[in-house]
Amino acid sequence: MNKSWQLVFCGLLSVLLALTYLLFDSGLDTEFILPNRLVKLLAMLTGGIAIACSTLCFQTITENRILTPAIMGYESVYLLWQALLVLLFGLNSPLLQDLQLNFVCSTLVLLGYSLLLQRWLFSRSLQDVWQMLWYGLVFSLVGSSLTQFFQYSSSPAEFSLLSQYSLASFQRAELNQTLFSALLTLLVASFIWRQRHQLDLLQLGALQAATLGVNRALLLRRQLALIAILVAISTSLLGPTAFFGILIANLSATFSRSQSHRHRLPLAALCAVLLFLLAQLLVEHLFNFKTSVGLLLQLCCGGYFFMFLIKHRQTS
Amino acid sequence: MLKYLGLGAIFCLLCLASLLLGAKQFSLAQLWQSDPVAWLTLTSSRLPRLMALLLTGAGLAVCGVLMQQMLQNRFADPGTTGAIDAAKLGILLAMVLLPGAAVTVIMLVALLCCLASCLFFILLINKLQLRHRQLLPILGLMYGSVLSAIAELYAYQQQLLQSMQGLLLGDFSKVIAGQYELIYLILPLVLCSYWFAHHFTLLGMGQQLAGSLGLRYQQLVWLGLLLVATMVASSLMTVGAIPFVGLVIPQLVARHCGDHLAQSLPKIALSGAAFLISCDLLSRLLLYPYEIPIGLTASCVGALLLLSFLRTPA
Repeated sequence: MNKSWQLVFCGLLSVLLALTYLLFDSGLDTEFILPNRLVKLLAMLTGGIAIACSTLCFQTITENRILTPAIMGYESVYLLWQALLVLLFGLNSPLLQDLQLNFVCSTLVLLGYSLLLQRWLFSRSLQDVWQMLWYGLVFSLVGSSLTQFFQYSSSPAEFSLLSQYSLASFQRAELNQTLFSALLTLLVASFIWRQRHQLDLLQLGALQAATLGVNRALLLRRQLALIAILVAISTSLLGPTAFFGILIANLSATFSRSQSHRHRLPLAALCAVLLFLLAQLLVEHLFNFKTSVGLLLQLCCGGYFFMFLIKHRQTS
Repeated sequence: MLKYLGLGAIFCLLCLASLLLGAKQFSLAQLWQSDPVAWLTLTSSRLPRLMALLLTGAGLAVCGVLMQQMLQNRFADPGTTGAIDAAKLGILLAMVLLPGAAVTVIMLVALLCCLASCLFFILLINKLQLRHRQLLPILGLMYGSVLSAIAELYAYQQQLLQSMQGLLLGDFSKVIAGQYELIYLILPLVLCSYWFAHHFTLLGMGQQLAGSLGLRYQQLVWLGLLLVATMVASSLMTVGAIPFVGLVIPQLVARHCGDHLAQSLPKIALSGAAFLISCDLLSRLLLYPYEIPIGLTASCVGALLLLSFLRTPA
């Protein structure tokens, strides 16, 4: 199939699913159901774009197809930060109640973490992705046991708030926050979109890219900052999505059979939205909210990932 | 020789400190005067705790080294191969499907789940033939996250999410006489692994070499898996999950004593025990008289050690 037709096809499919999601069993209730579902739809779009862009860029700059910013410790830092806020300031502090303020603060924290990671790792050896991965993994392990500790020592009300944060779902999407995140995501995504050709060049390898006039260090620094913002957006909007990014990045590569970001970025975002819609439809109508979107996604991501590895075992 | 004497003395001092320190203070003199309160504290809380620490530490470290030999990968341990998550899933299943079951039954279910999952993971890794060794823990964590997603899915529906939290983070404050005896299962298992130390050393050289040296590879892998699964299940049942022990301790010992398990296995077991005792002392002293779950202190200390290993490769 032609590449632009692929996009159109995926786009049509997502519009179709989105309409199904909006209208199915709604009784055309414009008071509550439709606005509520519209907000969730916007959250899916925003989250999809944010996760797709951040994972694709991260995979490009680390030259590895099985990484995602989520396992570099970003998500556990986010969860840790929320747990700390609950523990230090209590449930009623403005930092937790005011969603915008909370969002801005968490973004700043994640940016700080990303800066630290860069300073610490990229300064020494740009090549050693494995080393960096290990640092990230160790940080996430420690972060998750710290978070567990805070959850352990919190009251039931605090626990329910914290466990909301630790599972991905669209239930807590709220209009103002979603609009704000959507605008910010569009802004960041447009920055990334403008650098798509440089990212393409980066895929040729560090040396080639430098010969072709890419300032690699500058590009990496910018991209990591943008990725931190995107991860902050997606995590504060949906919760941790762990390996979901790997799934959609590889799906987009498989479908488009192309390495260029011009095709892969929109395709990955569409894939993400499609999967979100499917999972949400399943959760709302088949499982009757007895499960959460995050758990469903985690299950299918894990399954896909192992199949992917077995298929590509020579290259992994 | 002098070095070992010194290390032994430090180990004994750690044990003594673990016996004497705590929220209820007593001294050796009080024990000498056979003060009943001091003796009660000692026999019902401190001694069980010390035994649990010793056995869990030794067991987890040995589990780590067995896993590493079976997978021929230094980054394997029960935490990074999904074994702990599988055992958690088993405990949850037993709690829901067999309400009011005895502790031994629950442990048996956990053991079976753990065994099945480890077997599957080993088959998977053998099929994949990873080019990068460092990929294994990532795969294992991912596999573990799928398993724990299933467990959480189930717990979410049964409203058990918060009671599962107790299993997630190791904690020795629950260990008192009458509730921890399952942990003694680890002792014969560690001895058994030592009995087969030569075999497990050869196992780490791969199927072909081990086979040509006259080893029954399949049976030995089964034995190793059984040992690991039982030790993980019994430690999880009594104290909960403790990360990093199986990952850090074998690496630390291998740096000083090499890979021959007949020589290094006792050291691995003792270092594992010493590691947990020191972490436990730390978690009892940091917020005295309250205590921090050992899962947290062990993961912080373990992470620091691991990072220092990463900075200075052997």
